[in-house]
Amino acid sequence: MTLAIILIIAAVVSLAFILGIAASRSLQISHRDGRSGQIEPIDVEAFRNLTDPAEDDYLRTRLPASEFRTVRRERLHAMAAYVRTAGRNAAVLARIGQNAMTTGDERAAEAARQLVDDAVLLRKNAAFALFRIWIALAWPNSSFAAAPVLRGYERLSGRAMLLGRLQNPATPVRISATW
Amino acid sequence: MLQAHSLLWYYLWVGPSVLLLVLSFLMWRRGLHVTYPFFLAFALTSAVEQLTLCIADLIPSVTAEAWWKIFWVGLLIEALVKFALIGEIFAHVFNTYASLANLGKILIRGVGTALVIAAAFAAAYAPKDSPYGLINGAHVLQQTVFLIETGLLVFIFLFATYFHIKPSRPVFGIALGLAISACVHLGTWAILANASLPASKRILFDFVNMATYHVCVLIWYYYLLVPPRGPKPPDQSAGPPAQLVDLEVWNQELERLLHR
Repeated sequence: MTLAIILIIAAVVSLAFILGIAASRSLQISHRDGRSGQIEPIDVEAFRNLTDPAEDDYLRTRLPASEFRTVRRERLHAMAAYVRTAGRNAAVLARIGQNAMTTGDERAAEAARQLVDDAVLLRKNAAFALFRIWIALAWPNSSFAAAPVLRGYERLSGRAMLLGRLQNPATPVRISATW
Repeated sequence: MLQAHSLLWYYLWVGPSVLLLVLSFLMWRRGLHVTYPFFLAFALTSAVEQLTLCIADLIPSVTAEAWWKIFWVGLLIEALVKFALIGEIFAHVFNTYASLANLGKILIRGVGTALVIAAAFAAAYAPKDSPYGLINGAHVLQQTVFLIETGLLVFIFLFATYFHIKPSRPVFGIALGLAISACVHLGTWAILANASLPASKRILFDFVNMATYHVCVLIWYYYLLVPPRGPKPPDQSAGPPAQLVDLEVWNQELERLLHR
C-alpha cells in the first residue's frame, strides 16, 4: 500500500508540474510582445577580482588563518551572488534568443541560435560554479576557479550585442568593440 | 452509461484509435512523418493495437487467454515504440544546442537507469490483483512502462525548464500528450493494483484512462495540425520591439559598466 501511495503522489505531482508548464507556455505565447524579463547589470571587473586566484593568495599570506577563512567565505558568498545573477541573465537572454529564432532574417536567426547556445552553456557553467562555491564554503582553504563563468558571460554579452545589431542596425552598439 | 461494453465504452475504446489513424494519414500528407517518424510509428502501433483488441473482444471464438496474449504482444511493441519516441523528443529539444546535448545524454542515461531500478523494485513489491498470472504480469508490465515513461518525460520537462529551452510547438504537444497520458495511467494503475476494488469501481478507472487518452489524442491534433497564432505585426509608431528594448538596456548597462 505504501508503494501505491508513493506512485500516486509521484503521478499527481508530475501531472501538476507538466500542466503548470503547459499553462506557463501558453501565457508566454500570449505575452510574446511583452518584455521577456529584466537584465540585472553585473560588475564584471569586481567579479573578475573575486575570482582571481592571485587575490586569494595575497590574502592568504597577509591574514591570519582564521581571519582569512572568514574573508574567504564572504568573498565566496559575493561570488555566489554574482554567479546567480549571471545565470538569471543567461535565462533572460535565452528567452530573447528563442523568440528571435523565428524571425525571417537568416543571419539574425543564426545569431539568435548562437546566443541561446551560449546562454544555456553559461547557465550550465553557473550551476556547476555554484556547486563548487558551496564546496569551497565548506573548505575555504581550497582553491576555486570560476573563470568559465566569467568567459561565458563575456562571450554571451558579445552574442547579445551581435543579435541586437542584426535586428536593429540603426541602434549604435559601441560596446562590441570594447570586448 | 459508465458500464463496460456500453456505447460510451466502445466509443472511448475505438474513437481515439480511429482519430490516430486519421492523424497518421494527415501527418503523412503534410510530410510530418519525416520529422517525427517515431510519433507516426507510435500513433499507428497504438491505433492498430487497440482496434485489434476491440475486435478480438467482440469475436466470440477468441478466448480470454488469447485476448490477454494479444494484449501482451501489443503492450511490448507499444513500450518499445514509446521509448524510441521519448528519444526522438529528447533529440528534438536538446540536440540543437551543442553545449547541452552531451550533458543531457549523460543525465538522461543516469535517470533512465535509476527509473529502471525503481520500476523493478515497484514491480517486485506490486501486489497480485488477479488470480491469473497472465493478467497480473500485464498489469505489472504496464505499471513499469508508465513509471519509466513518466520519469523520463518529467526529466525532459525539468531539464528544458531549467535552461529555459522552448521546444517547438509539435514537439511540445507530443511530449505534453504523452506525459499527461502516462501520469494518469500511472496513478490509476497504482490504485487498481493495490486497492482491491470491486469490478464496478474498476470500470470507472478504465473510463478515466480511456477519456484521458482521448483528450491526449486531441492535444496531438491541436499541436500537430493547427497552425500557431502568428505574431502581431509590429507597431512602427510604438518604438522598437520589446526584445530590442531589452538588448538596448543590456547594451546601456554594459556600457555604463565599462566606463565606470
